[in-house]
Amino acid sequence: MSTPRSLPTTVTDPEEAMTHSIQTTVLDTPPVRDVPPTPRAAADPSFTSTLVSTIGSLGPSIIVPLILLLGLIAAAVIPSVLTPSGPLDMNPAEAFTAPGAAHWFGTDESGRDVYSRVIHGARSSLLIGILATVIGLGLALVLGAIAGLGTRAVDFGVSRFLEVLFAFPGLLLALLVITILGPGVVTTTIGVGLSAAPGYARMIRSQVLSIRGSGYVEASIVQGKSRAFIIRHHILPNVAAPLFVLATLGVGQAIVWASSLSFLGLGATPPDPEWGSMLSLGRLYIGNAWWLTVFPGLFIVLSAATTTLLGHGIQRKLKDK
Amino acid sequence: MKNRQPAYRDEPTSSSRAVDRTPAPTAKNLKKRVPFAFAAVGALLALTACGGAVHADSASGPGSEPVSGGTLVYATGDTEPACLDPIVSGNVPQALVSTQYLEPLFFQDEKGEIGPWLAKSWKWSNDRLALDITVRSDVHFTDGQQLNAETIIKNVAYIKDPKTLSSTGILAVEKVASVEKIDEFTARLHLSEPDNALLEHFAQVWVPIQSQKALARGAEANCLSPVGTGPFKVESWSKQQEVVLTRNNEYHTPSPTAAHAGPAYLEKIIWRFLPDHAARFAALQSGEVDVIDVLQPQNAVAADADPALDTLIGSRPGHVVNLTLNTTEGVFTDVRVREAFVRSVDVDAALKSIFMSTVPRSNSVLSSITKFNRQNPEAYSTDVAKANRLLDEAGWTARDAEGYRIKDGVRLSTTAIQTEAVLVPVSVLEQFQHSAKAVGFELVISQEEPASFNAKRYAWEYGLSPLYYTKNSPSVLNIVYDSAHIPSVIKGGYHANNNGLTGPEAQDIDKALRLAATTGSEKQRGQLYAKAQQLIDKQYLSLPIFDQQTRLGFRSDVEGVKLLSPLGMPTFYDTWLDRS
Repeated sequence: MSTPRSLPTTVTDPEEAMTHSIQTTVLDTPPVRDVPPTPRAAADPSFTSTLVSTIGSLGPSIIVPLILLLGLIAAAVIPSVLTPSGPLDMNPAEAFTAPGAAHWFGTDESGRDVYSRVIHGARSSLLIGILATVIGLGLALVLGAIAGLGTRAVDFGVSRFLEVLFAFPGLLLALLVITILGPGVVTTTIGVGLSAAPGYARMIRSQVLSIRGSGYVEASIVQGKSRAFIIRHHILPNVAAPLFVLATLGVGQAIVWASSLSFLGLGATPPDPEWGSMLSLGRLYIGNAWWLTVFPGLFIVLSAATTTLLGHGIQRKLKDK
Repeated sequence: MKNRQPAYRDEPTSSSRAVDRTPAPTAKNLKKRVPFAFAAVGALLALTACGGAVHADSASGPGSEPVSGGTLVYATGDTEPACLDPIVSGNVPQALVSTQYLEPLFFQDEKGEIGPWLAKSWKWSNDRLALDITVRSDVHFTDGQQLNAETIIKNVAYIKDPKTLSSTGILAVEKVASVEKIDEFTARLHLSEPDNALLEHFAQVWVPIQSQKALARGAEANCLSPVGTGPFKVESWSKQQEVVLTRNNEYHTPSPTAAHAGPAYLEKIIWRFLPDHAARFAALQSGEVDVIDVLQPQNAVAADADPALDTLIGSRPGHVVNLTLNTTEGVFTDVRVREAFVRSVDVDAALKSIFMSTVPRSNSVLSSITKFNRQNPEAYSTDVAKANRLLDEAGWTARDAEGYRIKDGVRLSTTAIQTEAVLVPVSVLEQFQHSAKAVGFELVISQEEPASFNAKRYAWEYGLSPLYYTKNSPSVLNIVYDSAHIPSVIKGGYHANNNGLTGPEAQDIDKALRLAATTGSEKQRGQLYAKAQQLIDKQYLSLPIFDQQTRLGFRSDVEGVKLLSPLGMPTFYDTWLDRS
């Protein structure tokens, strides 16, 4: 098992946190690998209140990304309220209009409003990010739990399997999945989810192993509690907290990956607004119409940065508890 | 086949009408107007310099003398050819590079007139079933082999050999039944039936004359290093990287439009493959390469603002870049629905926005520089009211929840296939999708890899397909519209006719086209091709968008860049580098 690469606890100021988060994203490594297990007593009733109080005592390193994230979520849920026109509305006569009062982010080659497209693009990007993370974590939870709770032979088998998957760089695995299943939003989501799973699974396995060896689990065994009881009351709740952090961090990475795939023409299909494909098209006009690349690019960075920062912020708060 | 491997997307056009012989230079070209005035005439209409009047070179100071020597780096945005011999397959990427080292028998000028090149003279028999061709007696190939009557016999046999896998060439010599040697330098071609386009065929670089000694090596070896009579010869080919061409120092067969005699000025040409549009233009801007093709409209605009860069844009002949409608199944079996689709979309708006007004509209299935082209703006104009009326008449009256028309519970929907390597960018289809929706017509865009694009096209699995076919003759209509070319004749499923129209309407078109191909009167030939176009327009088998174009961007210190008639391919015979 890998040793923690860099401990989030050493990150003290937001700027450093930012550096760290970007680094994590770029390295394609599930950051939560870095989280040391935080075993707590079973069925800790304070878990929910921990979250609440965490939010209550937030520093700017959480408040700022949280506000931004809420903005993105608003864009995803009610894009039409926030935009003057539809993402597909065309007006070729206004093609390549520079950003201004009429079009905040300018218009593209068909006279579509880039602001409207970017805002409407939030839904698919966030959705892909969240769903891919759910798929990845779900799969990882099963694999990690089997490895962590199973016999030595099972653990060996699962761990070797994960190592084989690790041999593929994440994006390559996603490409493989898309090649087999065909391009599209659904397959992109599955592809990104599957390629994120091995990293999470390793994390969860080590988490489970450390909890399994903890004093309160041993105490439960001595008390004669059933295996199912121990899993339900000790293992799962203790895995849940870091898992939540993991998920937050993972969403940012998944958004970047999904955008990368769309950039390559494997994700969203035209004319759907999607940040990666908008970036790809805008690239052709980079010398003439900078706004076609800058704004979608900015939103990809923004969404990845906010979720990652938020993840790290929560992680730190949980650790402090 | 050439329409399968076209240049890249966004290839616009210059459809100045054949009647309107003014250059119609686009606003963006103002900067280069002076040196470009002639270039545009030559490039747009003739595709080549003619009689020395048309020099498409950038402005060199008066009296500047061409300098010999130097290496020119050319970066193509077109596909890398699978074979450097354009007989095998026969597509635009091959024509681009092989124009530098291969030459045909005849020269066809911008008016469509045939003149001598490697052939000295020719003579038709009275029944027009035999053609005597006498070649020049002073020409040697770059491997030392002499050009003679035997060369023609061997070249035709090579094209006709099924193992060669020729698609363009084999159609060109379709009517040639046999070739007979008359004397040392004269060969007689016997035809199965008269062919009005035969000399035009032998004026294309797709039917070049190659050394018989080189052909005897077999297609595989010949693909790597074809041997011709051109101003350059193939030195080496590093696949997926570049072809190196070196000067033919014995060269003495320039085309009638060349500005000088003797060997080329350039010592070497490095022909690089750089498919990414942005990277290619950046390489030109930085001076890493000297000339690029498939110049995107936005980059043409940028090049015009840059004193270090020049542009040269000219139409290519043949079937224009168009959306071909598949009439064999689906909603397009009904001519009213075909017309309704054509009437619903706004081609002009797309050209104005996406192509930044750098590409004129075509209203003819034939390129504006192809003989007998007949512009028919009335047939292809946008008319939303008419589109709605036609769809109502065709029974598509009900609407579903999304606003699309339905009939018997089926939505009025069709699919356009698209790939990066065709000249119609997906953004154009998106605009068409948007305007078609306004009349309740759903257009689904299916972006494909080149392989799956071809597979779907061969299997007729499309409603609409962007296509073009380069050919220096109105007989291109015989290839792409004659219903005899609906079935596939070549391994792999390729079919030249992609609209699939059958029945009495198709027979009328076939009749006009076949008569046009064989009639002895040029006047009647013109009338028949006009009639055929009228019938084709009436059936709405395709939506013409713009002429195919050769679009070059180059460094201002590269002098004497030209496009060669009749295909409008770049030629670097007169090119030199002003870099003392």
